[in-house]
Amino acid sequence: MLPAFPDRVPWYVVGPLMGIVVVLVYALLNKRLGVSGSYTQARMFVLGRSVAEPWRIWFLVGIVGGATLTTVLRGGFVVGTDYGALGRFLPLGLVVPTLFIGGALIGFGTRWAEGCTSGHGLAGIPSRSPASFASAATFFATAVGVTFFVHVVTGGAL
Amino acid sequence: MNRVAALLGVAFGFGLGAARLNDYDVIHDMLLLREPEVFLLMASAMAVALPVLWLLERGAWHTPGGGLMRLSRSNIERKHIFGSAVFGGGWAITGACPGTALAMPAAGVALGLPVIAGVLAGQILRESIAKVRPIAPRRRRA
Repeated sequence: MLPAFPDRVPWYVVGPLMGIVVVLVYALLNKRLGVSGSYTQARMFVLGRSVAEPWRIWFLVGIVGGATLTTVLRGGFVVGTDYGALGRFLPLGLVVPTLFIGGALIGFGTRWAEGCTSGHGLAGIPSRSPASFASAATFFATAVGVTFFVHVVTGGAL
Repeated sequence: MNRVAALLGVAFGFGLGAARLNDYDVIHDMLLLREPEVFLLMASAMAVALPVLWLLERGAWHTPGGGLMRLSRSNIERKHIFGSAVFGGGWAITGACPGTALAMPAAGVALGLPVIAGVLAGQILRESIAKVRPIAPRRRRA
């Protein structure tokens, strides 16, 4: 019997793994890793338009597959409407529009900035790209700021 | 190339799930600066990738496709700052980014779906605005 898959694999295992993936995407595909671009390509595919970078769609499919693998290793799926502290704080009828609006900010912002946590963060900073340093500093600062704002406004519930 | 991309995606998605980055509470605690785990994870990923990429670039590494490996670099423009500020807001609200949102339904978190739908809607909105009023030259990257 294999030892149980850990609830949370530590950062010093997952971090270097992701760093290696960033390197391999460059070294093998000559591309900057980035997930928000995969959404764009997948959208083009679904709409039947020409897909400039089909590999990004395969990368996206892989992400879903890899994440699913961890779920299976932990004992399988339990589909539910849990969403951590946010799900306990808001009724379901409000969580869904909140997440949709938050998601829209993510999509709007990453399309505008041409990168997200992976593209500008995990891959952009090791590429020593000035735009990625600026982007990562901005999204980290804004996210921490907004999170603290939410924390105060909700009286510490979130 | 596509098969390689899929395999690399599997490794990336495995990491997201293994570290539970697809869990609102994990990201929320990180952004509340309650625990350093995710910061350390991202920093160690960069600490591994940065010197290796630098060496590959210096050594003029040729990718299997034949081309010389080129690191994607661009200068800071307004779009990077404004766009990333908007993204940071969404990240804080949802506790998700484009990658971790994909890993949510994969863990049975059905509420990852409205986040993903929102990301797609936000991208479309941004593109329709950009078409009307080009703020910056449109380039496909990310």
